[in-house]
Amino acid sequence: MTIRTTPRLRYDKRFGLLLISPWVIGLLLFKLLPILASLAISFTNFQLLTPEETRFTGLENYIRLMQDDAVGYVLFETISLGITTIPLQLVASIFLASLLSNPRLKSGNLMRTLFFLPSIVPGVAIFFMWIGFADPATGWLNKLILHPLGLTGFNNLFSDGAIAFLFSISSLWSVGPGMLIMLGALQGLPHEINEAARVDGAGPLVRFFYITLPLISPAIFFAIIINMIAIFGGVILLDRGNVFSGSFSPYDGYVTYILFERYDLGYAASLAWFFFVIVMFVVYALFSSARRWVYYPDRDA
Amino acid sequence: MTTQSKHKWLTPHNYLSLKLWETIGTGLFNLFIFLMIFAYLFPMVFMVATSLMEGPQLTDRNAPAYPAKHVRYEYEGKTYPVYKVPFPNGEVRELALVEPGRTSSQFIDPKNPEAGLILWEGNRRPLIGVYEFHVTLNNFTTLFGALPLSRMLQNTLIMTIIAEIGVLLSSIVVAYGFSRFPLPGGDLLFYVLIATILIPEKVTLIPTYFFFVRILHWEGTWLPILVPFFFGNAVYIFLLRQNFKSIPKDIDEAAMIDGAGPLRVLFQVILPQCWPTVITVSLLHFFYMWNETRQASLYLSISRDIAPISFGVQNFQSLAPIQNQLQASALILMIVPVIVLLISQRYFMRDMVVTGMEK
Repeated sequence: MTIRTTPRLRYDKRFGLLLISPWVIGLLLFKLLPILASLAISFTNFQLLTPEETRFTGLENYIRLMQDDAVGYVLFETISLGITTIPLQLVASIFLASLLSNPRLKSGNLMRTLFFLPSIVPGVAIFFMWIGFADPATGWLNKLILHPLGLTGFNNLFSDGAIAFLFSISSLWSVGPGMLIMLGALQGLPHEINEAARVDGAGPLVRFFYITLPLISPAIFFAIIINMIAIFGGVILLDRGNVFSGSFSPYDGYVTYILFERYDLGYAASLAWFFFVIVMFVVYALFSSARRWVYYPDRDA
Repeated sequence: MTTQSKHKWLTPHNYLSLKLWETIGTGLFNLFIFLMIFAYLFPMVFMVATSLMEGPQLTDRNAPAYPAKHVRYEYEGKTYPVYKVPFPNGEVRELALVEPGRTSSQFIDPKNPEAGLILWEGNRRPLIGVYEFHVTLNNFTTLFGALPLSRMLQNTLIMTIIAEIGVLLSSIVVAYGFSRFPLPGGDLLFYVLIATILIPEKVTLIPTYFFFVRILHWEGTWLPILVPFFFGNAVYIFLLRQNFKSIPKDIDEAAMIDGAGPLRVLFQVILPQCWPTVITVSLLHFFYMWNETRQASLYLSISRDIAPISFGVQNFQSLAPIQNQLQASALILMIVPVIVLLISQRYFMRDMVVTGMEK
């Protein structure tokens, strides 16, 4: 035994387990047990108001789910929300990050903070602000932006077109965390590769698409995951969901409705589990596709 | 070609013009960024402007966008609104409307009241008023009367402090365990930690809600919101663990040789080097708590007097206040996190960028 090995021994397994035990207990209490309980509840006709009448109903809830037109609709809405806002946020965050990492920028940190600012504004405030801003009678959207541009503007805030438009615009307002991830990735890029390509005559666009983008692909992957989870109803970093639904996704809103308007816990649990399986499938697909397009420097080494 | 142009750039005169172009380019670039930020934050300008307006300005079609009031002129003990009145000879005069009529109205000229009433023929409805800049704090005073803002603020502060203590202590300790100790299953537990971030909230919500409300009877208390924080947060654990890992083990081993136990190593060796990340995590949680309404709407809807501020402001909408009071309430709600971000920006933004890099 030398002196060096003695302290090593003190990182012992039992103490490590003791240290992570709060998280392990939390995992069991607030994640694993509830997920399993949810699965169990989804096979029953559990009602919040009459819990004593609960009985096992087998797959009845899942059959009802398959026949429920609303489920198809909210699922479609949720997926199209993801398909429109995730690429939009991704492109915007890469664009902003490359502008804001330009050395010509004066007081860059303040500028980055100002673009990040909406991400920390409470969702309620953002909701009030956008509803007011877009209000046809008293807001500024029609008065100062759309009418001067010669556009008709919105007459009804709650028409489908207006909501879709506001959804996309407001998703740009939570671009902050994505932008920071991209900034971090861009600042970590080695200059030599870009310089070498420049010397070889590659223009800025070629360098961007063939060098920068592949090199920051891990950050892109991470940003896609974060934005996707936000749409699917997880809680990540500063995410506050989409401000117009008051909830993360149309699907989430429907589960909340079944839960707190109908008090139908059994059916709500089956809806939640159905969605859980879909999300896990998408996550799995994304992670297995990552092998093909995400660049990991240590894998080549 | 290249050698020629290179040679050309090197003359002192052209060097100066190159500098000039550089300066112009930098100026234009910064102007562009500035305009982008202005456009990006434009709804906030609306919010601030509207919250400083008097109510009637909102419904006045001809009113300007900035907070303003219709200029009035006092004449013989009464005040009359001033309009821009066009005359047949092309002249436009600012006159106060004394006697409105359907086809003709009587005006008085504020600059020349001795001339008496002026008769003007035409429909007065399309006439555009004269406005002057005018700011009011009435919306905020109404708001403070309608909402128990100071109590809600106090609730949020106490909740935030308790939640910060819980989430920081547990996340730091767990992150230390993940960063330094050999754990059963190797990295498997760490992958489980990452995976828990991806679980949609709804799938755990139903049993958790039932457990808190029907079995523990925690409805109407802060417990269901605060207790889970004492078991760590996966995202914070992840961020802290990455940071702890970047500190060489040699330093804590040296401390152990000097007789320090593992907890002492954590609090006296590792944490002092990681405080930027710790502060970033606590700021993230501060912003989260300030934003929190979903848990509050689940568990606190029956006890409004212990509601946090964002939930209280959210409920304010159901009282159907007029638009400028709504904007004032949103402004009050966001002012604290915005100030905190601006104060901590230098350091929060840099650390977020660095943490993002490690992923």
